[in-house]
Amino acid sequence: MQIIIIGGGEIGYALAKTLASDHELCVLDTEPGVADRFGLLDVELLTGSGTSSSLLERARVSTCDLLIGCTGLDEVNIVACSIGSQLGCRRTICFVSKEDFVHTPEGRESLNEHFGIDQVVWPEAQLADAIERIIMAPGSVDAGVFVGGEIRLLEFRLGSDSPLVGRPISALDLPYGVVIVAVHHGETTSIPHGRTVLDPGDKVVLMGTRKGMKALQGQLAPDAAKRRLRRVTIIGGGDVGLRLAQHLDSEPGIQLCVVEHDHARGEMLAATLGNALILEGDGTDLSLLESEEIGRSDVLVSVIDNDERNLLACLIGRQLGVGSVITRVSTPANLRLFERVGIDVALSARGAAVASVLHQIDGGRSSLLAVLEEGQAKVIELTVPTGFPATALRNLGVPNGAIIGSIVRGGQVIVPRGEDRIEPGDHLLVCATGSSAEEIRELFTTGQ
Amino acid sequence: MRLSIIIKVTGGILRVFGLMFLWPMAVVAYYEEWTDLGGFALAGVLAASIGQAMWLAGREREPDLRRIEALAVVAGTWLVVALLGSVPYLWVGLAPVDAVFESMSGFTTTGATIFTDFSLFGRGLLFWRSLTQWLGGMGVITLFVAILPRLAMGVGRIFFAEAPGPTDEKLTPHIRQTAVVLWRLYAGLTLAEFLALWVAGMPVYDSLCHAMTTLAAGGFSPHALSIAGYDNAAVEWIICVFMFVAGVNFALQYRALLGRPGVLVRDEEFRAYTGIVLVAALLVTGFLWHAGGELTVAFRHGLFQTLSILTTTGYASVDFQLWSDQTRIILLGLMFIGGCAGSAAGGPKVIRHVLIGRYTLTELRRTLHPRGVLPVKIGGKVVPDGVMRTVLVFFLFYVLMFALCVMAVVLLGTDLITGISATMATLGNVGPGLGQVGPMANYGHLHPLSKLVLTGAMWIGRLEILTVLALLRPEVWRSAHWRTPARG
Repeated sequence: MQIIIIGGGEIGYALAKTLASDHELCVLDTEPGVADRFGLLDVELLTGSGTSSSLLERARVSTCDLLIGCTGLDEVNIVACSIGSQLGCRRTICFVSKEDFVHTPEGRESLNEHFGIDQVVWPEAQLADAIERIIMAPGSVDAGVFVGGEIRLLEFRLGSDSPLVGRPISALDLPYGVVIVAVHHGETTSIPHGRTVLDPGDKVVLMGTRKGMKALQGQLAPDAAKRRLRRVTIIGGGDVGLRLAQHLDSEPGIQLCVVEHDHARGEMLAATLGNALILEGDGTDLSLLESEEIGRSDVLVSVIDNDERNLLACLIGRQLGVGSVITRVSTPANLRLFERVGIDVALSARGAAVASVLHQIDGGRSSLLAVLEEGQAKVIELTVPTGFPATALRNLGVPNGAIIGSIVRGGQVIVPRGEDRIEPGDHLLVCATGSSAEEIRELFTTGQ
Repeated sequence: MRLSIIIKVTGGILRVFGLMFLWPMAVVAYYEEWTDLGGFALAGVLAASIGQAMWLAGREREPDLRRIEALAVVAGTWLVVALLGSVPYLWVGLAPVDAVFESMSGFTTTGATIFTDFSLFGRGLLFWRSLTQWLGGMGVITLFVAILPRLAMGVGRIFFAEAPGPTDEKLTPHIRQTAVVLWRLYAGLTLAEFLALWVAGMPVYDSLCHAMTTLAAGGFSPHALSIAGYDNAAVEWIICVFMFVAGVNFALQYRALLGRPGVLVRDEEFRAYTGIVLVAALLVTGFLWHAGGELTVAFRHGLFQTLSILTTTGYASVDFQLWSDQTRIILLGLMFIGGCAGSAAGGPKVIRHVLIGRYTLTELRRTLHPRGVLPVKIGGKVVPDGVMRTVLVFFLFYVLMFALCVMAVVLLGTDLITGISATMATLGNVGPGLGQVGPMANYGHLHPLSKLVLTGAMWIGRLEILTVLALLRPEVWRSAHWRTPARG
């Protein structure tokens, strides 16, 4: 595949690094300085603006299969994608960070219609949504929702007193409609089977119906599920902070506080948010945090545009007694570091966005729903082809590194057991590690 | 401040105002009470000729009003209109102070009267009295903005300077179109009430007068006993409905009528207004019932009197001066609230109370969160600091004016209840007060100086005080000059 990447920043580099070996890559950036980094990769590097049609022609845009606009400027990305599609590029993906027109489905459609942009990736929004899900699922560590909220994915870190610890999974008393799809033990992520025994400190990923998950949360985090009013503090009212605050603001049972250092931005937040308390000040200002009793928050989210300050704000929050701390990470290398020093959840907006783009490039008929543990495992959706013979799950021969978490059949969700049958037309939500994702995809392709 | 422009614009309004005297002349002709005709004719000729003279004297070709000039036009117009409006009263032999009081009470939709014996006055004069309220209800200037095609540039300034309450809603892009729309709605509602009252059995003449004074939230009645004189429950219910309507922002009503009734429910002021009406009416009903009345009658009078006082109309369905102190203090409290901004009602307006309430709560919250960003919001929108400040200042001056007037009136020899309620009733453009100025009494017996003070209170109250006070600043007059010096 011939791919043009506009913008050699963090996102561009992350994409290029993975794609360079299998695809024909051309990277455009206005800064000649990026050559230092890209020089090690097998890519063609052009210096200049992605909005220049002559430069795009030099990058052979007319024959190119995919153009990705991922500079730091939304406008540049949009214009570059638009010119690219005019000049004959087959498919365009545009990264945006703040533009209002992607808020609504109509806005996205008009991007497609008027600018020829096939897909908009909005990492900040995805990040805010991910954080919201974590907050709304008390006690869990990471979460996702699929099939319009019918299926949820929760990640729990197990304490030593957890009821899931010490017994084989087959002997656990899990609520109906819930299945453990992945276990993260130490540094490795694996797909569990009936004999797997969980240890304290493990992270488990569970998939299940909405009802089943509610019952599960009651079992695993009885305190959090019982508490009605929860205090949430957001440090930083930028794009991510605002979007997150808007979602939480109207949520009953959440008492929201946003700390923002910029006066004008603070006033804007106060005007936009109906119930939240906006504090003007620095998220690392100890006296402010103390006088406002931030320590009594159940969750502290730090989403400033600076990893170090985020870390500091989170550590201060933790020191003051906040229940759990969540932060955004810009530099992917910091992810592991942050979790090591006691941040409960560190999320990278770009990481998730890059993973989803990569999957689209490689993925065939399946679509990627979630990436777990930085790609060690992923949740994909498969459609059983029409010619596929109906087979009981136990006879299907699902590879070891994969597990079918749920079956969606005509709007109904089934959390399968061994005797359940897989029928043509079913949508399967599969959690798989490494190459097993390919294997299970093969399984349904060969059956055709 | 350029006097020539003020003279010109005021004159432009006055000469058209002269035409308004044709209406009572028609009534006089219909009832053949020819003795009263002269007063209206004289007033009309005076208004038209003074207006024309002023229009010619101000030789600006294209007048464009600045803010302070617009204020001066508004204050001046209202004053001159009230003076000219008093001519018919003078004609029938009222003392000058009384005539001006009655006229000002009319145009400001107060409804306080010095009339003792209504049988002395002809139907033409009583019609004029109601008409002054109708004209004043939607705003004299709004009317002329609607009528006159090109009065002046910046006419929007006078439009909003006159509008009751902190409002600046333009319903259409053109200010003139907005004025036309509002006047049409107002006239339509008046017609509806007229027909309803007529069907309910009120004589045609009385129906017309009451329809005009209800929608204006005025309260003048051609009957000496006000609404109580008709002893007709249906009439009282009909008037209740239209008093409620008169107290609601007309711009809001217009938008609701355009097919979006949801705007009413979403409007915080309307919600507060409705809540106040319900709570006060139920309280009054409770007290009346407790004092030994029939429940339905108690509710009818309770609701009627609550609406009449809250919307600053000032009708009486019963002599509430005879009610218990509990009910009377509620009515006195309602005088201090008033109707919605942009309605025909007077008083400090519900929205200002809502704003002050929000502001107080916000300040309390600020003591808990000294570094919080805590804006005051109405309907989800932030109220700018400047608006909040003017609301606060308005209240301060309202209270100050109230105190000064009470002092003056009581020092001039009335009892305390009368002094307090008379001031409240005139400053808030309500009409009847308590004590010696109760609903079945009148203001005629007050000291002439008291009447002047209260006339001033009505004027200031209708123009919402700050408009008038701004004109008292010395720098306004120091900078006053006849015409803009030619620019080199």
